[in-house]
Amino acid sequence: CTDILEEQPRSIFEPGFFQTEEGILGGITSMYAHLRYIYGQAYYYNTTLTGTDEATYAQSADQNFLVMDLSGQGDIDPNNSRADALWGAAFSNINTANGIIEFAPEVGVSEALVAEARFFRAFDYFLLVQTFGGVPLDLGSGELAFNIEPSRTSVRNTVPEVYTRGVFPDMLQAIEDLPIAPRLTGTATKTLARLYLAKAYLTYAWWLENPNDIPTYPEAQRVDPDGHDAQWYFQQAYNIATEAIDNPGGFGLQETFYDVNLAQNDRNNELLLYADHTETSEFYNGGSLTWGNGGAPDNFAGWMMTWNYTVLRSSSTSSTWTGNIESVRREAIQATGRPWTRMAPTIGAITNTFADKTNDSRYDGTFTTVYRANTDRTPVIGGPMYNANLVEVQAGDAILTFLDDEPDQAINYPTPASLGGNIGAGILPGRSDFVISPRGISRIVYPGLWKLGPYRTDSGTGLGEPNAGSTRPYNIAKFSELYLIAAEAAVKGATGSRSARDLVNVLRARAGVWRWDNNGNQEKIVDNSAEMVAATPAVIDINYILAERSREYYGEGYRWYDLIRTQKWEELAGTYQIGGMNYGDHTPQTITRTIRPFHYLRPIPISQIDAMEGDKVLYQNPGY
Amino acid sequence: QTVSVSGVVLDENEMGLPGASVQEKGTNNGVVTGLDGDFRIDVREGATLVVSFIGFVKQEILVGNQSSITINMKPDVSALDEVVVVGYGTMRQEAVTGSVASIGGDVMREVASANITQALQGRLPGVDISQTSSQPGATMQIRIRGNRSLTASNDPLIVLNGIPFAGSIADINPEDIESIDILKDASATAIYGSRGANGVVLVTTKKGFKGQKAKISYSGFHGPRTVFSPYPMMDGPEFLAMREAAGLFENPGASESNDVNTDWQGLFYQTGTMSSHDVNVSGGGEKSTYSFGLGYYHDEGVVPTQQFDRISMRAAIDQEIGSHLRIGFNSNNNFNTTQGSQVGSYGILSMSPLASPFDADGTRRRTISMPMDDTWVGTREVLEELDGQWLNETRTYATYNALYAELKIPGIEGLKYRANLGLDYRQTNNGEFTARGVNSPNPDTESFAAVGNSHNFHWIMENLITYDRIFADKHIVNVTALYANEQNKFYSSRMWARDIAANQFQFYNLGHSDGEIQINPNDQNYQLWGLSSLMGRVMYSYDDKYMISATLRSDGSSRLAPGFKWHTYPAVSVGWNIGKESFMSNVSQVDMLKLRLGYGQTSNQAIAPYATLGGLGIRPYNFGNEAFLTGYFVNSLPNPNLGWEYSETYNVGVDFGFFNNRLTGSLEYYITNTKDILLGVNLPATSGVGSYTANIGETQNKGVELALNGLIFENNDWSWEAGVNIYANRNQLVSLASGQDRDEGNWWFVGHPIDVIFDHQYVGLWQEGDPHRDILEPGGNVGMIKVKYTGGYDDEGVPTRAVGPDDRQILDLQPNFMGGFNTRVAYKNFDLSIVGTFKSGGVLISTLHSSSGYLNLMSGRRNNVSVDYWTPENTEARYPAPGGLASGDNPKYGSTLGYFDASYLKIRTMTLGYNFDNASNWMTKAGMSRLRVYGAVQNPFVLFSPFNRETGLDPETNSFGDQNAAITNAIPSRLLTIGTNAPATRNFIIGLNLTF
Repeated sequence: CTDILEEQPRSIFEPGFFQTEEGILGGITSMYAHLRYIYGQAYYYNTTLTGTDEATYAQSADQNFLVMDLSGQGDIDPNNSRADALWGAAFSNINTANGIIEFAPEVGVSEALVAEARFFRAFDYFLLVQTFGGVPLDLGSGELAFNIEPSRTSVRNTVPEVYTRGVFPDMLQAIEDLPIAPRLTGTATKTLARLYLAKAYLTYAWWLENPNDIPTYPEAQRVDPDGHDAQWYFQQAYNIATEAIDNPGGFGLQETFYDVNLAQNDRNNELLLYADHTETSEFYNGGSLTWGNGGAPDNFAGWMMTWNYTVLRSSSTSSTWTGNIESVRREAIQATGRPWTRMAPTIGAITNTFADKTNDSRYDGTFTTVYRANTDRTPVIGGPMYNANLVEVQAGDAILTFLDDEPDQAINYPTPASLGGNIGAGILPGRSDFVISPRGISRIVYPGLWKLGPYRTDSGTGLGEPNAGSTRPYNIAKFSELYLIAAEAAVKGATGSRSARDLVNVLRARAGVWRWDNNGNQEKIVDNSAEMVAATPAVIDINYILAERSREYYGEGYRWYDLIRTQKWEELAGTYQIGGMNYGDHTPQTITRTIRPFHYLRPIPISQIDAMEGDKVLYQNPGY
Repeated sequence: QTVSVSGVVLDENEMGLPGASVQEKGTNNGVVTGLDGDFRIDVREGATLVVSFIGFVKQEILVGNQSSITINMKPDVSALDEVVVVGYGTMRQEAVTGSVASIGGDVMREVASANITQALQGRLPGVDISQTSSQPGATMQIRIRGNRSLTASNDPLIVLNGIPFAGSIADINPEDIESIDILKDASATAIYGSRGANGVVLVTTKKGFKGQKAKISYSGFHGPRTVFSPYPMMDGPEFLAMREAAGLFENPGASESNDVNTDWQGLFYQTGTMSSHDVNVSGGGEKSTYSFGLGYYHDEGVVPTQQFDRISMRAAIDQEIGSHLRIGFNSNNNFNTTQGSQVGSYGILSMSPLASPFDADGTRRRTISMPMDDTWVGTREVLEELDGQWLNETRTYATYNALYAELKIPGIEGLKYRANLGLDYRQTNNGEFTARGVNSPNPDTESFAAVGNSHNFHWIMENLITYDRIFADKHIVNVTALYANEQNKFYSSRMWARDIAANQFQFYNLGHSDGEIQINPNDQNYQLWGLSSLMGRVMYSYDDKYMISATLRSDGSSRLAPGFKWHTYPAVSVGWNIGKESFMSNVSQVDMLKLRLGYGQTSNQAIAPYATLGGLGIRPYNFGNEAFLTGYFVNSLPNPNLGWEYSETYNVGVDFGFFNNRLTGSLEYYITNTKDILLGVNLPATSGVGSYTANIGETQNKGVELALNGLIFENNDWSWEAGVNIYANRNQLVSLASGQDRDEGNWWFVGHPIDVIFDHQYVGLWQEGDPHRDILEPGGNVGMIKVKYTGGYDDEGVPTRAVGPDDRQILDLQPNFMGGFNTRVAYKNFDLSIVGTFKSGGVLISTLHSSSGYLNLMSGRRNNVSVDYWTPENTEARYPAPGGLASGDNPKYGSTLGYFDASYLKIRTMTLGYNFDNASNWMTKAGMSRLRVYGAVQNPFVLFSPFNRETGLDPETNSFGDQNAAITNAIPSRLLTIGTNAPATRNFIIGLNLTF
């Protein structure tokens, strides 16, 4: 009776499915889905920002955030470094890409589809090599081959090997084969591949130059196997980026900066790549539409820099402060969302990076600085409501405002338990909203990150589902970055028809255009482009490029990579200022970080080391 | 002159006694009775027959001129229980050479329970039964002589009336059980081959007896279930003090007030109920027997809406046709319902005691607002009002049937052919419904409904040839040959929908959904497996003194790779009844002494079907709103070389009976080596694939088991019996993949047991002035947890690095020993019996106290387990200072707070019964032959448990490692924990047994 000993699965696929056309399409879909395990994953997000000049840990931060700050709150180690999210997601995706690239010729799918796999393989290797240094190109079945060997050993290639064999060839081929317009909403295009190739060239050029003598691992000479020098790569970066600008293929800049990050305008033509989500289907969204547990594939990055605004109170009487109205409840709108209070902006980010809050619309288009009463949302909180100075306010009115600048008149911060004291907010004469000035922010009360706030169309008259992961796409790559890549290359000596100043000014001019005052919640049609351009320095240096990048991409997960690429981490983020952990802390403390050269690479995650056989000590990055 | 005499030897229940010795007095002429107690002997005229059987009083019967004799044997009360089921047959205990532990149905039922796992806990040596859930109707995990496998199953094979059981043990009504026999060593389990590697539990249900008058019996019990001890959460003032000490949440939540003290658990639990009613009818004619049973079991938990109901029906018929053919049928059926598993306890436990369930104006709050969290209020009252709006019901129908035909082959005495056909079907239907806003802080959260169905079809066809003969009176031979095929098909499906148009639909019409309807590919399942087997067994005994049993079995399994599907393995065991040797005849204190030795190999193929093939994972994705597609990636690799895992067991045992059999028992020692373990190997991320299944590694179990039973005291009115079993198992991982001695990802370490914890080791709390805190714990604080540091020190004695992952330790969870005891004191018609269980050493994991439970945050954000924490005034505390350095939302190293000494001694049940005198007039008039009433307390108290002393809780586990905790991936699923499952209960029952 041999029949009963044979197997025929009927509810699962075997790996052989990859050798069919449907399998290859499924593999490509999974590459887009794998982005959700990296982008929007808040712990990985934290590794890209906490410890830079953009962000520090906030009051409810745990070790995941504390160690990243490098300010004496514990050391980054293989166990607590959350760059593991990238490590864990990238290699299985690389292997899927290996399989697709290997099997596609037999099955006969189009080169354009294979190019999507090539793009993602190069994309993952580029992310890995920046974060960890050299990584293996051979997963067990040979270099860039589909691995079907259960290999428990691993050998790391060097940084130049990864770039020249794992990133550049695929990206070049992808530019060749990818379509100009996306196959489906959000799929890879020539423009996207150009952006990543330009950025990879730029990053590799910096690595070759190594101006501050930052170590690499595994040991490698700063020599290009293809025989080029840093300057050649800076020039290539410039060329590819400007080529992409000149051939936008339907992509381009939005009219205003506000529109780039406005939820209602998600998936606009400035966005080249994002990890998508949907409120239409829980299954395809990959996570609950009602309650998120704080894990991938949910997009929960936005919770981190949201402080607990729900403690704001107003009073039901005008005679005495009762503090009994929960005037700003948790709501699924872009300005609020779920508060986790894990990360906070530094004072420097608010006062230096965004020094100009008047002409430049980007501060207003980045932060939530005004918290408005939502007592009219169901369940409605009825009755009159009195706020600062016991002045009556209505639903929609400001309850708390983070001022753009230090006011001329000193803010009165009342003692706890009296008027407004419960969150330590201040009062200015005549104002019905409580106020906090830029230098008065703390690890517990600070402007929220508006960009990543949630947006739902199914909230009706209620507060919606603020506890779910965001159903918005997490933006990964933008057309605007092509200008900044080219400008950075130009600062480093690349030449062409556009100077660094020309390139930067394209974005600065756009930043001067207002159509809506986000925090003022009203129309504002103003064009400050001329003032913005006029304020651009005649000579652009790398620090100016970095500041401009921060204004453009603040809180989006670019910063650590920008600082390690340019080797400016210690210089720009070595110290920062923020108020303390408690309500009422309004005195900036200056914190010094200990950023050492080995920190420029993240530790290889403990999960890798634990599951490996062979020399584990040599495998780990030095210093960890 | 010889005459031929035939007859039957019956026991006190008029059931045929197989294996009894019938001997012509004063000669060597004798026979042994057959399976039905029948015999045939040629004797001299006027001879006397001596009939003996261990456990019964020896009888001498004058043959006279009778040609047919019925001999009724009377039990020798002080002797052992005799017949044991050994698989494909029964055997006199005296002749058993393998390791078999047995318990009769009545003894087992001393612990009234929903299923046999609960009843068997602590009753048999080497059989470790652990609670994996405390919800009504839950079954327990059985481990026989420890764990062998790492990722394959460690569950024993259950055999119901000879047929491998394809269902849930909850489907078997304990009231239907005649006896349970557990085969522990490989020489005993080898006949079940690959299915018996983890031991075999043979369950035999009640039958009728030949010539028995119809007998009707009723047994039932009823009583309340109360909370053994509520979870130890902080009350208002305690919580407020802790929150203030933490200093993180100065502002109370909108529903909180510092003068409120709400006992949320008090508003949640209810008094549950247990009740059971069973009716049995049995009897037999000259050539037939029958037995029917009907049972109802109802178990309502202390968590509102949690309940389990079972209706069971059983039938057994056996009929002889002519003198050569016998056919029979055995059917066990049940329908059961499990409800309320959706109601968890976490919400209630985590709610701030400072929050009142009522608003200022006295209306009940739908949610309470704490500083960071809004939690839906699901008290008992609310749940009662939600009748029909929040459901989770699983309905199971199962039927397990065995049909057999047995043919005595004419012409060859003792040769029989038997065909067994097992036909089983089990289906479950699950429905869930959560109305809009229920269990959600948002009143507008869409309703949710789901339905799931599963079906299991199992058949087995066994062809058996047996040959039973006694040669020259002393040579008893039993030969069994088997050819069997078995197949099991399981499939399940599930779909769900949101935004059901009206609550009335519940989960009955998902089509009336205004929202998403989804059939998730991961929720659909199909598995088909088959097994083909050939087996031969020879048992031989000489003069009841020397016994040998040898088995050879070959199994072919569909689950393994082509070319690796078949494996053959041998088993042999020998026994020596020393007590029957002539040199022992002078040792009058020794009634029985037997030495057993066994060796055997068994296999394990208990991995999921299709593991050799590898598999794809799915990743659904949306491309804007343009395309909703499902992505695939390789998450497990194929293994074309996947073969059997096998175990070799060596067993040594001594059975004894001393002092007129007033002290009986057995002592055993065993070693089991398991090789080529079927292991789901986690691969490093750089391989690009998550895992694959391979034959890697080796484990060993060694152990000692002792069982003792004694009749301590006996006179006319009084008697006192006691029994104890005690056993210890030492489990060790001998090897992993080539050259690897640790698998930190899976918490497997060579030289350690399979079940360990790999974590930092708690050594205390950091105190003011302790040196090197700044180096060992950068960013740390006084009062935080101090863990073991294993790094180096420089010349000045200063640590060279901070505490890190290299400092993690391997903590052994294995208890030193465990066991159970029972005692029974009788005075006249009263009897008092106590059954208990104990365990010494080992580690108990409480996720209530560790980080994964989110109930020991020590931050004041949500309610906290009541613990003695560090303050500057209370530096000797075990728990860290509130508001200190955190990892996640928990104190750093908070996972170490969940490890407790697992020792305990627990009284499981105390029963006081009264047996009405069956000679009494009124009973006879009423037609009653037996009437017993009893009252029992279950789980009355716990002793010697450090965990119980600190928390008041029952120290028995109630969850798998990945259940009933806020974080479910911190502890491997295989480790059992105490989490936020339904609380343990103390039950009070009153019962009645009645026989007409």
